[in-house]
Amino acid sequence: MQYIKKHPVLDIPGKREVLFTCNGKSCSGHEGEPVSSALIANGIHTFSYHYRNHLSQGIFCANGQCSHCTVLINGIPLKSCITPLKAGMDVRTLEGLPELAESKRKPGKSRSLNDGCDVLVVGGGPSGMTAALELANAGFSVILADDKTRPGGKLLLQTHKFFGSTADCYAGTRGHRIAELLEEQLRVHAGIRILSDTLVAGIYKDRKAGLFIGNKNYALVDFKGLLISAGARERSLIFPGNQLPGVFGAGAFQTLVNRDGVRAAGKIFIVGSGNVGLIAAYHALQAGISVKGICDILPQPGGYKVHADKIRRMGVPLYLRHTVLSAGGNDKIERVTIAEVDEEGNPLLETAKTFDVDTLLIAVGLAPIDEFFEMAQEFGFPVLKAGDAEAIAEASSAMFGGRISGLKMAKLLGKDIKIDETYYEKARVLKSPPGKTYPRQQIELKENFQPIIHCLQEIPCNPCVSICPVNAIQLHPRLHNILDVPEYTGKCTGCMQCVAICPGLAITLARQLDGKRAELVLPYEFIPGFEPGATLPLTDIEGNYLEDGTVEQIRFHKKTRTTLLTMAVSLKNATEIAGIRVQAESETKASENTDLSYVPDNAYLCHCEMVTAGEIRKFIREHAVRDLNQLKVLRVGMGSCGGRNCALLLPKIFRDLGISPETLTPNRKRPLSVEIPMQALINEDTEKSREDL
Amino acid sequence: MTKHYDILIIGAGSVGVPLAFYLASEKLRVAVLEKEASVGRGQNRAAIGGVRATHSDPAKIAICQESIHCLAAMQEEYGYDIHWKQGGYCYPAYRREEERTFKELLQIQTRYKLNISWLSADAIMRLIPGINPVGLLGGTFSPEDGSASPLLTSDAYFQLARKCGADFYFGEEVREMRIRGKQIEEVRTKGGIYSAGLVINCAGAHAAAIAKLSGQDFPVNPDSHEAGISEPVQALFDPMIVDMRPEKDSKNYYFYQNKEGQIVFCITPHPARNGFDCDNTSEFLPLVVRRMIGIYPRLRGLRIRRTWRGLYPMTPDAFPMIGYNREMENNFLAIGMCGQGFMLGPGLGRILSEIIANSSSAHRFILEQLSPYRSFDSREALQ
Repeated sequence: MQYIKKHPVLDIPGKREVLFTCNGKSCSGHEGEPVSSALIANGIHTFSYHYRNHLSQGIFCANGQCSHCTVLINGIPLKSCITPLKAGMDVRTLEGLPELAESKRKPGKSRSLNDGCDVLVVGGGPSGMTAALELANAGFSVILADDKTRPGGKLLLQTHKFFGSTADCYAGTRGHRIAELLEEQLRVHAGIRILSDTLVAGIYKDRKAGLFIGNKNYALVDFKGLLISAGARERSLIFPGNQLPGVFGAGAFQTLVNRDGVRAAGKIFIVGSGNVGLIAAYHALQAGISVKGICDILPQPGGYKVHADKIRRMGVPLYLRHTVLSAGGNDKIERVTIAEVDEEGNPLLETAKTFDVDTLLIAVGLAPIDEFFEMAQEFGFPVLKAGDAEAIAEASSAMFGGRISGLKMAKLLGKDIKIDETYYEKARVLKSPPGKTYPRQQIELKENFQPIIHCLQEIPCNPCVSICPVNAIQLHPRLHNILDVPEYTGKCTGCMQCVAICPGLAITLARQLDGKRAELVLPYEFIPGFEPGATLPLTDIEGNYLEDGTVEQIRFHKKTRTTLLTMAVSLKNATEIAGIRVQAESETKASENTDLSYVPDNAYLCHCEMVTAGEIRKFIREHAVRDLNQLKVLRVGMGSCGGRNCALLLPKIFRDLGISPETLTPNRKRPLSVEIPMQALINEDTEKSREDL
Repeated sequence: MTKHYDILIIGAGSVGVPLAFYLASEKLRVAVLEKEASVGRGQNRAAIGGVRATHSDPAKIAICQESIHCLAAMQEEYGYDIHWKQGGYCYPAYRREEERTFKELLQIQTRYKLNISWLSADAIMRLIPGINPVGLLGGTFSPEDGSASPLLTSDAYFQLARKCGADFYFGEEVREMRIRGKQIEEVRTKGGIYSAGLVINCAGAHAAAIAKLSGQDFPVNPDSHEAGISEPVQALFDPMIVDMRPEKDSKNYYFYQNKEGQIVFCITPHPARNGFDCDNTSEFLPLVVRRMIGIYPRLRGLRIRRTWRGLYPMTPDAFPMIGYNREMENNFLAIGMCGQGFMLGPGLGRILSEIIANSSSAHRFILEQLSPYRSFDSREALQ
């Protein structure tokens, strides 16, 4: 069983083990975890063989947004990533079309479940939670519908300490802990009801929402206002082999590893150097998974420089101006091939490198889940967006933005409240992309510890400033907000709190011992498998090896759950050393056999109906397509995701053919947003159906 | 610049697109004006795909028999797979009222030489394994009826029409007609001016508004029905199942399994919902799902994928209006399909192309029976 037993940051809570079967074989998993996680923990990566071409399909989003993880559970095809595991479940790989279970039972009594609230909040992630709190504080009754078993959304997957502002969004606290803090506040609030395992499946003209609850019930909820905080779906990428099991979203990976404690991979490669891709690499290393590299078509890392630097220091190569050419393997990904790109972004095949991996993470961006917004607006309902549904940004920004949206909704519904003008400016700053980079402050080492700050780029973050008990770290006032870069002002007491709290692991403490030697305090977010006296490879800010240092002391900073290592180093490198390499160079070597097979037309664009990019290009050319609905002839947009995923990939296809995507007529999104069994739609009352799932 | 054609069809939908093909294949210069961005985006997209000849009047029977010929031959004749499936139509009876109505209609239908017969309850259960046997009295079955994909059918006719030289203008809403005497001299859209020897109104739900542009009133008023589709599953049964029992909030409903394996379904609300509103309502799914599980309990585990709402362009007697406009000499009407545009379209296209291009057809009688100037005092029994 591939569960993570020890983790440097996460507690591994005792979970109840239950037995279930997969294709008749006995398996065990944790009660209540998604069936998909239990399957992967049991080494099962193929969830179905597609009925069109019999290719194996595995998980992609682990977030209820695609349908690649559909399996037969007790005879009913269900998305396994949103179905909690129960003892005795009969799980089967879906081979071809499912066969409907025989049912000789008479139709049972049907019921309609009706409910109501002032505001229905769709999605209980960082923004939904804070919006619900603001609304409830303003006196409104709130139903918070969330598709997972616990609210928290992506916060639950984040083991890193948060960026942002300490005062406004818990910066410096680890994401999963923030989720707990917010959930506690929600639970005690009389005005808020949390509906877990609940998907909002449709918004209807008669001002009702259809909620699919616990895989077996359907309720119609009246509301006055609607707040869409459903988060984002991960974008996919068009390359041959992208349909192989083991190619999945970085968010899915974080879900498996950090939320469900599944060691979902052994060797991974990551496409995309935004914060999501960078953090996924960090999460992988913490879970004992090796990271062969990260590639990005951009010339610079897409995410914060502190994140990218941290990952490079740990020993993960960043391949910039590179794209993924193909993934290969039989029933599961076995290798990935990348290549440099030219000025136009076209791959240079002669630069191809192949890596042997068992997992490829796609972290090429997110797209808002906001289709209900448009519909609700058309129907004339009071509706607002919050969090990623509104604009893709960090969870810290989502938490703060959620509060603003909650207050705005309260106003929209007639409550006389004033929204603090400074909120908008704060929200703008928290949402800001990284800004300018400055040279590092020159510090002359002394006998006492002083912080060396390797955080050089404008990002919205200030925990080091907030935590320092003597205000010895200040933001250099250029922009006059938390985007400003921190600097040391010369009063350090050596308390080490800034080292422990920095989310970028970008602060060390240094002091001079004599004319040759110095002492450093470095943060370390792994399980120390060594004793004082051990030597560790140390690198500069961007991961270049400088020297081996000797561990003198190992401390554990409990509040931030960060290990602090005091190390003896040379004086000449002391201010340059920024981190510890945890992954040896040999781990990240390319394979000797480069896979040069590259047929871009073979890439699958629609995974619900298995339609290739080549088929789509041909159809667009031959049929002069200007209306995305025409692609339904190829079944693009007709599958279970309702065109929600392929719609993100189609613009590139059209652009490549010289057609501006803005001139195209889009598909219309209709209910249902998730497939619902008929018996659930009428809450059919039969002994069996109650026990079925 | 005025673009001149022999034929100008208004509406690239269930009726207009096949008609464009059949007329263009008669060597006529045909143009189709469509306000949406591609074919079939009006009500064709909302049709569930059933095609039956088992009506109760000779005109619709003749047209739909022709449709079945066209659709059944589409793959072999032209190479387009439109997912034609000859699964038949079955009207099961669970109450004496329906049994009586069906048997009465059966006499008329057999008189018109339709292949339809009464099956015992046992035979229905063999035909549709898994149908709820409790109270089943038997039912009618017409094996030659079937279904096809409205999407693929429209696309096939669109491709065929283009190959025959028909021009399609999308995003071209007809806004104005210039009249001289008893002639439509010009048809104007936002982007163009068109003239034609014959202007054919195939505007579906919007047919009355189009006729109004030349000053005539025809009683075509849409009401709306909701439909839905499931995930695909392995084959369960072949026929379209039509349950005619009325209930408090709904009248009949019907469903079948298409060639993809998906169950497609539709229900007639009661009372009728008049107007153009096509937004989804919360009542539809629970209503239709309860009735479908009632008649076919095995569906309870089937997952519903999507729902939509479409318009039935209704006429006072629920029969189409086909014929020349008496007040406009170069205007023909093929309107008021009453929700059956998809099943009528191909056959109507073929028949009208004969009538219009050669003014001779064995089917000329439909112009009398479906005349827009009839008295509207009878009512369609199997609507």
